[in-house]
Amino acid sequence: MSKEKTSEELKVEMLSQMGTKADELEIKEEELTEKQKAKKAARYEREKKRELKFAAKSEKRMASGHGGKSSLNTKRMRHGYLFILPWLIGFVLFYVKSLVQTVQFSLSDLSVQPTGGYKLKFVGFDNFLYAFRVDPQFKQVLTSSIGNMLIDVPLIIFFSLFMALLLNKKFKGRTLVRAIFFLPVILNADAITSAMEMSRAMMTGGISSSAAETANAASGIGVDYYMKLLSDLALPNKVLEYLAGAVERISDIITASGVQIIIFIAALQSIPSSMYEVAKIEGATGYETFWKVTFPMVTPHIITNVVYTVVDSFTDSKVVDLAYKTAFDQMNYGLSAAFSLISMIITILILLLVVKIIQKRTFYYN
Amino acid sequence: MAEQPKKKKIKRGKQKQLNRSMAGNALLFALMIFCGIFMVLPLVMIVNNCLKPLDELYQFPPKIFVRNPTLENFSDLFVLMNDSWVPFSRYILNTIIITVGGMVGHVVLASMAAYPLAKHKFPGKNVLFSMVVLSMMFSWTVTQIPQYLIISWLGINNTYLALVLPAWSFGMGLYLMKQFMEQLPDSLMESARLDGADEMTIFWRIVMPNVKPAWLTLAIFQFQQMWANTGSLFLRDEQLKPLQFALQQITAGGVARAGAAAAVTFIIAAVPITFFIICQKNVLETMTTSGMKD
Repeated sequence: MSKEKTSEELKVEMLSQMGTKADELEIKEEELTEKQKAKKAARYEREKKRELKFAAKSEKRMASGHGGKSSLNTKRMRHGYLFILPWLIGFVLFYVKSLVQTVQFSLSDLSVQPTGGYKLKFVGFDNFLYAFRVDPQFKQVLTSSIGNMLIDVPLIIFFSLFMALLLNKKFKGRTLVRAIFFLPVILNADAITSAMEMSRAMMTGGISSSAAETANAASGIGVDYYMKLLSDLALPNKVLEYLAGAVERISDIITASGVQIIIFIAALQSIPSSMYEVAKIEGATGYETFWKVTFPMVTPHIITNVVYTVVDSFTDSKVVDLAYKTAFDQMNYGLSAAFSLISMIITILILLLVVKIIQKRTFYYN
Repeated sequence: MAEQPKKKKIKRGKQKQLNRSMAGNALLFALMIFCGIFMVLPLVMIVNNCLKPLDELYQFPPKIFVRNPTLENFSDLFVLMNDSWVPFSRYILNTIIITVGGMVGHVVLASMAAYPLAKHKFPGKNVLFSMVVLSMMFSWTVTQIPQYLIISWLGINNTYLALVLPAWSFGMGLYLMKQFMEQLPDSLMESARLDGADEMTIFWRIVMPNVKPAWLTLAIFQFQQMWANTGSLFLRDEQLKPLQFALQQITAGGVARAGAAAAVTFIIAAVPITFFIICQKNVLETMTTSGMKD
C-alpha cells in the first residue's frame, strides 16, 4: 500500500511538473502513465506473490503447532462458543426472555382481554412509585427481609463451613450423618411441607408445633437471661441485638444450610491431598493447616455459598410472597413485577458489595 | 486462638498426629448430635406416621414413636391408586422421565457451558457470566406468566419437554460448576493439549472426572428439584402427570385419607434421600482414587 501511495505521489509530482510545460506534452504524459501503470501492476503482482508465500508459511507453522498464537486462540474461542451454545439457547429462550417481559410488565398496566391474551398500557415508573409511596406493606416487608438476610447469611456460612469440616472427617456412619444434614433440603419440597402441615392440622397441636412452642418458650427465657448478662459487659446494643437474633434463629439456620454444607464438602474434597502431606511434613499443627491450607483453598466457595444463600433467602422471602399474592390474588401484574424487580436490584447491590469485600481476600489456586 | 501453643506442646510430647483432644472430640460430637436431632426430627415423624394405624394418627397428645406398627397405610394407598383411571405405574414412568431427563440434561449442558467460562478466554465472557448471576437473583415464581407464554409459544405445552427443557438451562448449575472448574490447574489441560487431545476429549476425559464431587452435588440438587415438581402448570393430561401430582391429590383428600397421606409423604421423602446417599458414596470413592490432581 505504501509503495502504491508513493508511486501515486510520484505521478502527481510528475504531472504537475509536466503541467507547467505546454499542452503538447499531453500525449507523452499518457504514455508515461501507461508505463507507470504497467510498472505498478508488476509491483502489485510481486507483492501478492510474497503475501501468498507468507500465508502458506504461516499456515504450515500453525499446522505444526508452533507460533500463530492469535489463530489458535480464535480456534479455542470457537470451541468455547460451541460448548456454551446449547445451554445458552435454552437460557435465552426460557429465562432472559421472561426477565425482559417482566421488566416490560413492570413499566406498564396489564389488563387481560376477554378474548384471550393481554394488553399493555405503558405507564412509566408509576408501579415503582406506587410500591414505595402508596403500598402499605411493601416497604416494611422489604426492610424486614433484608434485615433477616443480613443476620442469617454470615451465620449460615459459618455454620455450614464448620459442619462441612466435621463431616469431612473420617468416622463411622459418615454417609448417614451427611444424609441427615441434607434432610432439610429434601423436606423443604412443597409436597412434603403441605403434607406435614396437613398432618399437623389433623393432630391439632401435634408434635412439631408443640415442640416449636416449647423451644420458643425456652429460648425466650434464655435470650432474656443472656441479654441481661451481656448488657453488663457494656457491649453495644447492636451487637446484643444481633446475638439475640442469632439465638432465635438457630433452627432456621440449621435447616437453611443443607445445600451450603454439601457445597463446602465438595470444596473440601477437591483440595489436593498433596497439600496436606506437605503441611504434615513441614510440621504444621491442625490449627495452622486449617488457616494456611484448608481455608484459603475453600475461599472461592465461600463466595459461591454467599451468593447461593443470599439468593435462596431472597427467593423464599416475604417479598416474593407479597409479589405472588399481588399478581395472582389481586391480579395486579404490573405492580407485582415492579416488586420483584426492586427486590432483585437490591439483592444484586448487596451481593456486589459483599462479593467485592470477600474477593479481596480470596485466594485462587491458579 | 489461645489454644494454639498448648496444642503444639501436646503434639511434641506425644509425637503423634493427634490434633484434637478427647474432650474436644466429645464436644464436637455433642454439637453434631444436637444439630442432627433438629434435622432428623421431621423424618422420624414421617417414618413413624406412615407406620401408625389410624387411631394412633389421631391420638392426642401425639406420640412420636409408633406403638403398633402396621403396613395398613401402604395397602390403603395402593387400593386408592388402583382406583385411579391412570395406572399407578404410568405416574412413576412420568416422574422418571421428567426427573432423569431434567437432571442429566442440566448436568451435561451446565458443565459444558461452565468449562469455557472457567478456562477459556473469549470476548463476551464476562457479560455472559454476569447475566447468569443476574438470572439467579430473580425469583421465578413471579415470572410464571411470561414462562407460560414462552412455553405455549414454543408449542411444547402439555408435553414432558415443558418441564425438562427449562430445567436444562438453569443458572445455578452453571455457576456452581464454573466455581469448581476454576480451581483445576491449567497445566492439566495444557498437557492434554500437547498430547493431541481436542476440546471434547479434554472436557470428558480430564475436566469432568476431576470435578466429579461438583457434578454429583449438582445432580443431587437437580434430582431433588425435579422430583418435587408437580408440573401442574404445564401438564394438563392426566397421563403425563408425575407421581408427585398424584400424591398431592391424595394428600388433599382430607381426614379419611390421613393414613394414605402419611404413606405418601414417606415415599416422597424416601426417594431423594436414597439418591443422595448413593451419590455421596460415589463422591467418597472418587476422592480416594483420583489423588492425581496436579
